[in-house]
Amino acid sequence: MKILIAIGSKHYSEPTLHLGMKVAQAFNAKVTIIDVGEKISEFSSQLVELAQDQMESWDFDPPGVDVLEWAFNYLSDNGLIDSKQIETGFPKNRLIDDGEDRKLVYLSGTVCEDVNLILRNGDIISELREEVQYGGYDVTIVGKSQKRNMSHDLLQYINSSILVVNKYDTEKFNRVLLPIDDSPGSMKAAKYGIRVALAYKIGIDIVTVIDNGVSTDDADNLNVTKIIKLIRRSGVEYTQLEEKGDPVEKIIEKANDDKIIVMRASNMSPIKRYFKGSKPLSVMNKCNVPILIVK
Amino acid sequence: MLGFSNLSLSNFLFWATQKRWFIYAIIIGLILILLPHPQGLSEQAYTSIVILITALILIIKEPIPLPAIAIYILLAQIYGGIDSADGIAKAFMNDAVFFIMGSLMLAVVIIRQGWDSRIALGILKITGNKTSNIVFGFLSISAILSSFIGEHTVAAIMLPIGMTLIRFTSSDFEKVKNLAAAILFSITYGCLIGSAGTPSGGGRNVIMINYFNQSGLSLSYFEWMIKIYPFVIIQIPIVAWIIINTFKPEYKILDSSIRKLVIKVAKSRSMTGRNTVTVIIFILVFLGWIFFSERFGLGTIALTGVFLYILGGFVRWNDLSRHTHWGVIILFGATISLGTSIRSTGAALWLADQVIMLFGSMMDTFPFFSDLIVIMITAAMTNILSSSATVAVLGPITMNLIPDMMHIGLVTAVSSAFGYFTAVAAPACTIVYSSGMIKASDFVRLGARIGLVSILLLMIYINTYWLIIN
Repeated sequence: MKILIAIGSKHYSEPTLHLGMKVAQAFNAKVTIIDVGEKISEFSSQLVELAQDQMESWDFDPPGVDVLEWAFNYLSDNGLIDSKQIETGFPKNRLIDDGEDRKLVYLSGTVCEDVNLILRNGDIISELREEVQYGGYDVTIVGKSQKRNMSHDLLQYINSSILVVNKYDTEKFNRVLLPIDDSPGSMKAAKYGIRVALAYKIGIDIVTVIDNGVSTDDADNLNVTKIIKLIRRSGVEYTQLEEKGDPVEKIIEKANDDKIIVMRASNMSPIKRYFKGSKPLSVMNKCNVPILIVK
Repeated sequence: MLGFSNLSLSNFLFWATQKRWFIYAIIIGLILILLPHPQGLSEQAYTSIVILITALILIIKEPIPLPAIAIYILLAQIYGGIDSADGIAKAFMNDAVFFIMGSLMLAVVIIRQGWDSRIALGILKITGNKTSNIVFGFLSISAILSSFIGEHTVAAIMLPIGMTLIRFTSSDFEKVKNLAAAILFSITYGCLIGSAGTPSGGGRNVIMINYFNQSGLSLSYFEWMIKIYPFVIIQIPIVAWIIINTFKPEYKILDSSIRKLVIKVAKSRSMTGRNTVTVIIFILVFLGWIFFSERFGLGTIALTGVFLYILGGFVRWNDLSRHTHWGVIILFGATISLGTSIRSTGAALWLADQVIMLFGSMMDTFPFFSDLIVIMITAAMTNILSSSATVAVLGPITMNLIPDMMHIGLVTAVSSAFGYFTAVAAPACTIVYSSGMIKASDFVRLGARIGLVSILLLMIYINTYWLIIN
């Protein structure tokens, strides 16, 4: 399992990094923490690079290194990386340019496998997409952005499961909300949900929603029964709810502000999803809690 | 769907989203091409205007890499029947492109020579420890140096000096936000102001000189300086005053930080014989620009300097090549060739006529009105496009607005330095912005004031000083 955690600034990224590392721990995953810096106009990119070389000779770090250093300190403070590396401090001099328009440093983790720190510059969606393709990540973890279309673009173009960390509060976070239906994707979502529940030692609320009187999420369905059996076997405490109404509204209502939602991605075609949107996208846009969309 | 996998559909959608401005540009171009062309405008001239519109969209939005935009401009001109492949190729490479190439390469050599330490000491010796004097000093030195060695080079040299001074004042950035803005903007705007002062201050000046030459006009390095440099000198104290009053620095005296900076500079490596030789070569280039540029061209002389640096082993070709943005050079070549096509097909004259038809009565009543229009349009385009590209495409049009081509051409060149409003207007802005210490909104806040004052000053300047010296 490989997880990509996107951080953006020292001030707002702590919840993302905290939850990201917790999830990585749950999956014993290889973690890469990435900071995507602002896109530089191509007109000046090479001159900016030249100026940054000059700044390094005056002991100034290139933009973004401070964010990686903050992430390193966070990992150190929480004992998430090897103690030998903590003693030597953030290895700025080992931040290497790998020729793929990114700078990176390798660290070895304690609670999960390797932890890498990466610095890229450019459009956030393009850079994350490229990194996911390059590294073959299973989950991408990002903080919720205020930018319009960001959630849409993440779901549409990033070829991995997406965890959006939204108003994450460790104190309040007490259940996994698992909306399921008869589609095969629900089984994968359930497996992810169980791992998260086990990591946090919390229970799962399974919810099936019957939309407009038509049972799209049939509780008696074989797939649903299999999921419940899987959860029972994992030893995670669970409750099962059946709701009627608009699935998006019901999921948001049930999530309240103290759960993490784990749900499958839409199985509509990308073209349809592009124009019509999807239920996971609507939930992602409207909810106030972390949400993991499993692809 | 039609046998395509979800992944390939998703990849296509991503491509289309990323390239949407390219798609829009092509659609707009196709629609315009299909429309009947206006009377009095040849088909070739109309096509060149359509290429100009689409190229501007592509340059502003950058949906495809700059070299691809350059190739698009060249191909569109050839396939559009504006000129033969040989004709377009001839217009593509000229002395202005040589200059841009030479100036980018000279920057690589100069930045690495350790002049920054000497400059830091020089500024502090002159200004002392008073913050307002330091801001004035940074602005003056940036302006004077950028007049001769190019704004991008000076911004790269001055930025670490400014940032070190800020860091030595306080390691908590929140406590020195205004001081940081004042010092960094003094560097940025100093570079912009100075870049208009001489032909070697920026590629756009050389592009304009090239257009003058194509129109049978001649302007030497000295003549340019006599016409423009006083304007640079006038702007320096006024802009420094506006900066200080917009971002009132938290510290009025920077005593201890200056002492720390002096100690740091004193510890840095001293000038070697090789550094001195690089200075001498640059002085030779500078003298060449002054005395021989009319004969050989500014670009040729800049490239001679580059040749001497390579020959003397002062810079490795790999280093030069790595830090020279060939895409930018190719793009400027392409925009210059487009500018030439706009001029040769009569499109420039037609566009100028449209402006005259629109504002003719105002231009007749108020002779300065044509200057004002040119300044406003050039300054606006510089802030969203880039100063050199603005001059390359606007130059041929503005030069047809009034009979005095030299006058209006110089107005265009000077106002193309008014890239005060955005971080993308000029490399100096982007370099300083990349420090992360100033915000894009700061450019608007300060740029609005300085832009307005500069426009007014230029209007007064060209309608008084130029009348006297002419």
